[in-house]
Amino acid sequence: MYTLQLATAGLAIGSVYALIAIGVVLIYKCSGVVNFAQGAFVMLGAYFTYAITRLGLTPVIAVVFSTVLMAIAGAATERLVLRPMLKAPVVAIMMVTLGVLIFLRAVALAVWGPDQIAFPKLFPDGAIEIFGIFITYNYLTAGSLSICLALAFLAFYRFTAIGLMQRCTADNSRAALAIGIHTSNQISLAWSMSAALAGLGGTLLATLNGLSLGLSDIGLIAFPVIVLGGLTSLPGAVVAGLLLGVLQAFTDGLVTPMLEGFLRAYTTIYSVGALQQVLPYALLILVLLVRPQGIFGWRGSERL
Amino acid sequence: MLEATGVTIRFGGVVAVDALDVIVRAGEIVALIGPNGAGKTSFINCITGAYLPDDGQVYWKGENVVGLTPNALTRRGIGRTFQNVASLHDLTVLDIVKLGYGLRHSMPLRAVVLNALRGRDSVADELNETLLHPLGLADFRHAPIQSLSYGHRKAVDLARALAAQPQLLLLDEPVAGLSSSESRSLAALIRKVRDRLGCAVLLIEHKMDIVNSTCDRVIVMAAGAKIFEGLPADVQVDPEVRRVYLGEP
Amino acid sequence: MSGTRLWISLLVAAAACILTLMLGRFGNYLMHAVVIASISALALNLLTGFCGQISFAQAALLGVGAYTAGNLGNAGWGILSIPLAGMASAAAGALIGLPALRLRGLYFAMATLAAQFIFDYAFKILDPLTHGVSGLVIKPLTLLGYVVQSDRAYAVIAIICLFVTWLTMVFIGETTLGRAFLVVRANEIVAKGMGIDVARTKLWAFAISGFFAGVAGALLAFTTRLASPEAFGLSLSIDYVAMIIVGGLGSLPGSLLGAAFVTLLPELIQRVGEALNIADILSAAREMAFGLLIIVFLIFEPRGLSALLHRLTSRDHANIAPKTPRPTSERRRSELGLKFEKVE
Repeated sequence: MYTLQLATAGLAIGSVYALIAIGVVLIYKCSGVVNFAQGAFVMLGAYFTYAITRLGLTPVIAVVFSTVLMAIAGAATERLVLRPMLKAPVVAIMMVTLGVLIFLRAVALAVWGPDQIAFPKLFPDGAIEIFGIFITYNYLTAGSLSICLALAFLAFYRFTAIGLMQRCTADNSRAALAIGIHTSNQISLAWSMSAALAGLGGTLLATLNGLSLGLSDIGLIAFPVIVLGGLTSLPGAVVAGLLLGVLQAFTDGLVTPMLEGFLRAYTTIYSVGALQQVLPYALLILVLLVRPQGIFGWRGSERL
Repeated sequence: MLEATGVTIRFGGVVAVDALDVIVRAGEIVALIGPNGAGKTSFINCITGAYLPDDGQVYWKGENVVGLTPNALTRRGIGRTFQNVASLHDLTVLDIVKLGYGLRHSMPLRAVVLNALRGRDSVADELNETLLHPLGLADFRHAPIQSLSYGHRKAVDLARALAAQPQLLLLDEPVAGLSSSESRSLAALIRKVRDRLGCAVLLIEHKMDIVNSTCDRVIVMAAGAKIFEGLPADVQVDPEVRRVYLGEP
Repeated sequence: MSGTRLWISLLVAAAACILTLMLGRFGNYLMHAVVIASISALALNLLTGFCGQISFAQAALLGVGAYTAGNLGNAGWGILSIPLAGMASAAAGALIGLPALRLRGLYFAMATLAAQFIFDYAFKILDPLTHGVSGLVIKPLTLLGYVVQSDRAYAVIAIICLFVTWLTMVFIGETTLGRAFLVVRANEIVAKGMGIDVARTKLWAFAISGFFAGVAGALLAFTTRLASPEAFGLSLSIDYVAMIIVGGLGSLPGSLLGAAFVTLLPELIQRVGEALNIADILSAAREMAFGLLIIVFLIFEPRGLSALLHRLTSRDHANIAPKTPRPTSERRRSELGLKFEKVE
């Protein structure tokens, strides 16, 4: 029963990871940029929602407004920062997105301060009992909402005309240009969709864990997720996100206590600290070494 | 010196090189010719360790060298040039040539330090005299490779390979993209290098006048297999070669 | 390396040493902060700028150096603990580099990011060696039986280490290994075809870079007297990547410029902020300026300060002698054509 409890909590967090990772994959597929600023979008989305509810609007409208704002922020980042750097080396592009992360974090710090803020209640309090396990409405709605959003986005990407143009641009931007797709608009669109998804993820995450600058750190967890999922695979990102969420929950709830018990008995180390936080990265290295194309990627997608 | 027997290379279902036997003796210049896709470059890549043959053996000075890495083969005296010369950022001509030299010869630490203190570089001077001057590169020795023309880049690539003083030199289309007068002087240079170093040369080439004037022996490949081997003069009258090239029955 | 360049660097190092003797406490603090950052930036530039391996694990290597030096120093190894810290970091660097033998570019950058987190975690939990989150308290350095206390002495030791690092970097640039780095960066397949042992070349880059990162970490440990996990987190790694990019990838003087710039900028903003009385948003302003500068820099001068400096000085050149058109290499090439004149 405890295991199931952990699994549901893991799935809820994991679905938010999936939402964030989809954004990173989307940008990478479309423009070849590895966006370290995704974490900043996550954080900013949550802060926007918070700020708008403070103006007195209902949570639903606040979320909609914040998503629109994030879409604008994403496109603006692409146009203002990434567009002028088209021909720069990979390391410079990585670094510039890090610059965006640092900058946006600092802006949030200046505006909202360093302390944790109580996030407005989007969902009712209380918990529901399903099959003998208790899930708070928070976890239930945040988890199911983000998994629905992720799936809806996959469907959008797969079945609509815009999705098709996105896929064309991602597949071969020169050919896409040749058949009349406005690729640079598609790239901006990818950025705004990605930022909007990240912002939504941030809002949902804030309902679970509260609102602080630390939310931006979640952007980095997108990297183990996308490597696990195969870097260019959107469904892969979703599955890997869920998997990692569950794995983290199990590590935190089961493995850590067992390991600490063992270590206390036989060594002088009495704590293994936040093992669940470092686990995704250990997994990242392992996956890269054993199966660089990820679980759902295909060989030759990037590695040469 | 080089003895390749039954070399077979497959890419998936495609047989790029099909049980090819090639022997190159010391001091000999052998041309490997054939239509595009005949497997010439694949064969060279196999000898230099870039590809592993699916079947067959390659002996170099009596040692089986299949499975050795390109750097091990470079140290054993097999040097090569490339068909397409990659641009290498801001490395200068002299840098590349010194690199070629350093991959085969170890420079004693003491000599490098002494050179640094004196502000002179005896190796660079020597390479400049023996390689860059004859190849017409001396004026560009401090120029970055990417600023050079295509012909010059090919010359740099050759200089790099020669700086290692190879005993077997594999040249992949050395005159492609050069003018005919440049080609002729390069051909003369190749003979001169052979005479001075006494090395064997295996070259892939399309231009028959270059092959005729340079090579001692010609091997013609088609669809991965050897269809002719003999003197340059006999190539053009061979019925099989004429069939492959000219479509005669 | 020409003899003149050697003497110039020696003179600069001597001048820096003399300068530290004249500086006050704060000046000395800035001096060794910049010098230590320079050592580490040079190390990272060897790896990223020369050999083309992007690494976000530089702080982890500094940390390994700092903890090694701290433990050895506390155990009474004296000055020897600095090179030994370098060795330990070289080993750690090679370990971090192992995935690079199979991975390239972006994938490898992610592996180093992961390595940074894993080392960070190790610093926190390996209590017997690192004293966990609270950090390892380090005794001052002992040199030939004397306990080094003065800031100036530490600054001079750091300058000497930087000088040695500089010479080593310049020297490596003159060796076959150094040239092999550049070819590996440009194109690994070509490098392999030329007969370069790519795996060995990369591992050397990691080990050498790791060694000097370890030395920088050791110096940091002895000057701050404390090694704690949060001092060697991801943000420090990002600072170093910023330094080499702002300074100029693959440029040795650029590394020094970048290190000075990234180290001194927050201090400058601090001063200005204090003067303007905006202490409450100072840390936000500092971060904002840092982020903005990285962005602006990369957009307008992606080749870094060294390229900017180069352009400025060559423009001065043109101003002095505007009448004589400089013979460009472009032009000489077309006149000469490709000739093999000495053959016949």
